[in-house]
Amino acid sequence: MTQVTRMRRPLVAALAGSAAIALALTGCTNSGSTGGPEEVTFSYLWSGAEADAIEQIIADYNASQSDVVVTGISSPDFQKQLTSMSSSNGSFDISDHFGNGVGSWAAKGILAPLDDYLAADGVDTSDFIPAALDQMTYDGKIYSLPIAVHSFQLLYNKTLLEEAGVAVPTTMNELAAAIATLTKQDADGTITQLGLGDPSPSTTLTTLGYNFGGDWDAGGEPSPTEPGNIAALQWYVDNIVDLVGPENLATFNSGNGEYMSAQDPFYVGRFAMVIDGEWRAANIPATAPDLDWGVTAIPYASTDLEDVTQLTASTLFIPANARHKEAAAKFLAYLVSDEGMTAFTKALGNLPSRTSLLDTDAFADIDQFDVWMDALKSPNVFALSSAPYSAEYSADLGTAFGDVILGSTTPQEAMQTVLDNSSNYATE
Amino acid sequence: MRMTTIRRRRALTGLAFAAPFLMGFAIFIAYPIGASAFYSFTDFNLFQSPDWVGLQNYERLAQDSSFWKALANTFVLTATGVPLSIGIGIAGAHLLNLPVRGQPLFRALVYLPTIVPVVVGGYLWRWMLNSQYGFINYFLGLLGITGPGWLVQPEWTKPAIVLMTLWTVGGTMIIYLAALKDVPGELYEAAEIDGAGPFSRFLHITWPTISPVTLFQVIVNVIAWLQIFTQPYLLAQTRLNNASSGPGESMLTYAMYLFQNAFSFLKMGYASAMAWILFLLTLAVTLVILIGSRRWVHDGAR
Amino acid sequence: MTALAESRRRPWILRRRTRRIVPVAILAAVFVFPFAVMLFTAFKTPGDVFSTPPALLPREWTLDNFAEAFDQIPFWRYLANTLFVSGMSVLGTIVSCPLVAYATAKVRWRGARPLLGAVLLTMMLPPQVTLIPVFLIWNGLGAVGTYLPLIVPAFLGTPFLIFMIRQFMVSVPDELIEAARIDGASEFRTYAQIVLPIARPAIVTAAVFQFVWSWTDFLNPLIYLGDPDQYTLSIGLYSFFGENDVAWGPLMAACVMFTLPAVAIFLVGQRFFIGGVSAGALK
Repeated sequence: MTQVTRMRRPLVAALAGSAAIALALTGCTNSGSTGGPEEVTFSYLWSGAEADAIEQIIADYNASQSDVVVTGISSPDFQKQLTSMSSSNGSFDISDHFGNGVGSWAAKGILAPLDDYLAADGVDTSDFIPAALDQMTYDGKIYSLPIAVHSFQLLYNKTLLEEAGVAVPTTMNELAAAIATLTKQDADGTITQLGLGDPSPSTTLTTLGYNFGGDWDAGGEPSPTEPGNIAALQWYVDNIVDLVGPENLATFNSGNGEYMSAQDPFYVGRFAMVIDGEWRAANIPATAPDLDWGVTAIPYASTDLEDVTQLTASTLFIPANARHKEAAAKFLAYLVSDEGMTAFTKALGNLPSRTSLLDTDAFADIDQFDVWMDALKSPNVFALSSAPYSAEYSADLGTAFGDVILGSTTPQEAMQTVLDNSSNYATE
Repeated sequence: MRMTTIRRRRALTGLAFAAPFLMGFAIFIAYPIGASAFYSFTDFNLFQSPDWVGLQNYERLAQDSSFWKALANTFVLTATGVPLSIGIGIAGAHLLNLPVRGQPLFRALVYLPTIVPVVVGGYLWRWMLNSQYGFINYFLGLLGITGPGWLVQPEWTKPAIVLMTLWTVGGTMIIYLAALKDVPGELYEAAEIDGAGPFSRFLHITWPTISPVTLFQVIVNVIAWLQIFTQPYLLAQTRLNNASSGPGESMLTYAMYLFQNAFSFLKMGYASAMAWILFLLTLAVTLVILIGSRRWVHDGAR
Repeated sequence: MTALAESRRRPWILRRRTRRIVPVAILAAVFVFPFAVMLFTAFKTPGDVFSTPPALLPREWTLDNFAEAFDQIPFWRYLANTLFVSGMSVLGTIVSCPLVAYATAKVRWRGARPLLGAVLLTMMLPPQVTLIPVFLIWNGLGAVGTYLPLIVPAFLGTPFLIFMIRQFMVSVPDELIEAARIDGASEFRTYAQIVLPIARPAIVTAAVFQFVWSWTDFLNPLIYLGDPDQYTLSIGLYSFFGENDVAWGPLMAACVMFTLPAVAIFLVGQRFFIGGVSAGALK
């Protein structure tokens, strides 16, 4: 009993203190409309080093003008993001998401349409890479802007290719031959080196689908069984899964080190090649400085399919329940300006989403970054649709790809299952 | 007349003691329960007003292969996880109750894993279970056993989840330790004099005394395992917020699929229908346990 | 004299204590091993974190990770916030949970079983579906952005802990309570003077559980706290997870610093609930 009473006093004082803090806080957020600079809360999912970079950009912006004061909050959980947006009074004014999620959120009224703000703030939307801007658009209106985009290219370990006497592949047949030469297996089937590894089956296989002339959203609907998609999966099965055996492949992959750590399978030579995004260019010098690597366009299946790549986007949006939309839009306009976007993408090692920035020399000091940049100039840049069904579709594709890699089903069957399932997807 | 007064006074006493919970229940529980029941008959995406669709969510669930897969996975995990939690909990509590030097420290060490934030625990276990860099297969290798590909072979992912979850069984043990304090020492001594062996002493003295606590452990463990989410979610993902169902959906648990529907697909109506099915299933299992418990639980009232 | 005592004691230690300590030590070792991995990784250099075969000890010891962890999060501020939230929650738990438990276990009224049923039902609803409705209630009360949503629920009773304490109270012999009632003790006095002392191990256990839950809770602080100055330690740990990679060394260092205060409190607290002393005096 005495323990309780002894404890209580400081705790009560602390509670009173916290109530005072809470009052002070609500006082602050309400003061926005009374003349001074407007306060904008930028809640972002990035954390760690990325968060530090963003805080620097926010500080620069706050110092550069006196109309808007931005406060950044690193909030790395999308449950929190959705929860905050479910109330009538939002706790943040601008946040980030990913490209193929835009349509789903726009259809549900979560996002504020941006067209009027962009016009008022003089943002030239025609400068954005078309595939990226398509993802941002739902029902004729723009609901997000791509702050950074990503493209996928073929990375290879120069040392391993030279040792094996393999030239950098340019066609799918050459790639298949290179994989066969670069894959090493013991007599009992144990793989010690894999020709083409895959850090994320979903990304690798959807990208390959485009490389084989496929389309995952033909006619604005899930179209997993498009011939090109099936051809890509079949190519993957024939040249990788069946080459080594699905069980050996699973066993091998269970020994992969953490992604982008010093033990990343590509960095330690377990994977001779991978299809991956531009963030690798900034990561390799920091994490695997001794790796002798190169990057090239993904090999083509036929001559009309040269320089095909998949684009994904990191987006910024203003939630419909934001309390300071106009001020948030001003900050958004800054983030996608030459200065803001260059600083942001450079800090994160990502690609700018505006065509006019693809030729700057701002990224010259990142080794081989230009290969991913140039890929965005190709007419063959594809992106997954950002329709309301995208999240379910991605999840089903991920499961189906997993089954194909495990050898438990054929590409045709797996994609047919996804197609059958798609009749239950959300339509708005 | 007198009887009703006593009864009324007792009811008021009961209500007074229960007041904190009843208040919380009325404000924070009753509404969500009711709301989720209603949503389960609607098409609801959290942001727009729900549309009544009758039984459509339930009908679709019946044909949803991921739903059945998730349900089966969850049952397998519960059926293995609960007995192991209880068994290890009781055995561990007995060990930690032995009067050895440094006993408080040993207890703290066993409880320590529950203090490690589960996200860090998830990364730690993904690393422990890695077949190239992890300690588990390394130790198995020292014993001459070739360890499996824990997180990539569908038949090994569930043992991995159980292993990671049992790592935090220290909480169960601590509750059993507190329960063992209630076992009357005199009875032990008497039994020892009568020549009863350790097993017979456990069966006739310890077990009856800790049986109310065991009933508690069984029920809360069943509920917790049926709702298991964080461990499989973390073990299946390869990067932060990069959700996966594991190879062949072998790690997709009921709560994971519910979460996916609610927060990724924004199908709150569908998720609410799932929640209610799980709710009723849990209720049924709990009732069976409670009814069965009359045979083996001894409380102070008897 | 001392030498003689030593030689007389050693065989005894060997025979009884050592034999007993072996299984206990093995049990503790199994549970603590992943934590040991974490602890030693906190002293490793980045290139040393993973190796084949895996190695527990660092090749080269470094304190850089701790420096970086302190640099990355305002540790002392978050620690104070976390202690405040956890402390208040524990207070709430020890005040309210035994009360409710008593109402289901030993008050003879018709509501006892329905109340227990309600407590159990509350646990059965998956938290994923209640998250947003509960958030909207707090939002309606204007309490989002304060510590109240993290603390008040503990004062309203945590179902798991109510049920646990109840199961301990159930084994209190009814005769003891009847005797007190016949002596004319009020229901509250019976509760406070007879039942509470017997249930103390359970109540302190509940307090420790509540403490650890509040300590490690991530999602609720993130959802309900708006200002980073209010953040708790578990949110701070996320600053070591990048979009694609993890800062292993600093994360492990921060995690060690995160667990140590809670372990210290556990070591102190266990004296009150499962300490080596003999069983409850009232038995």
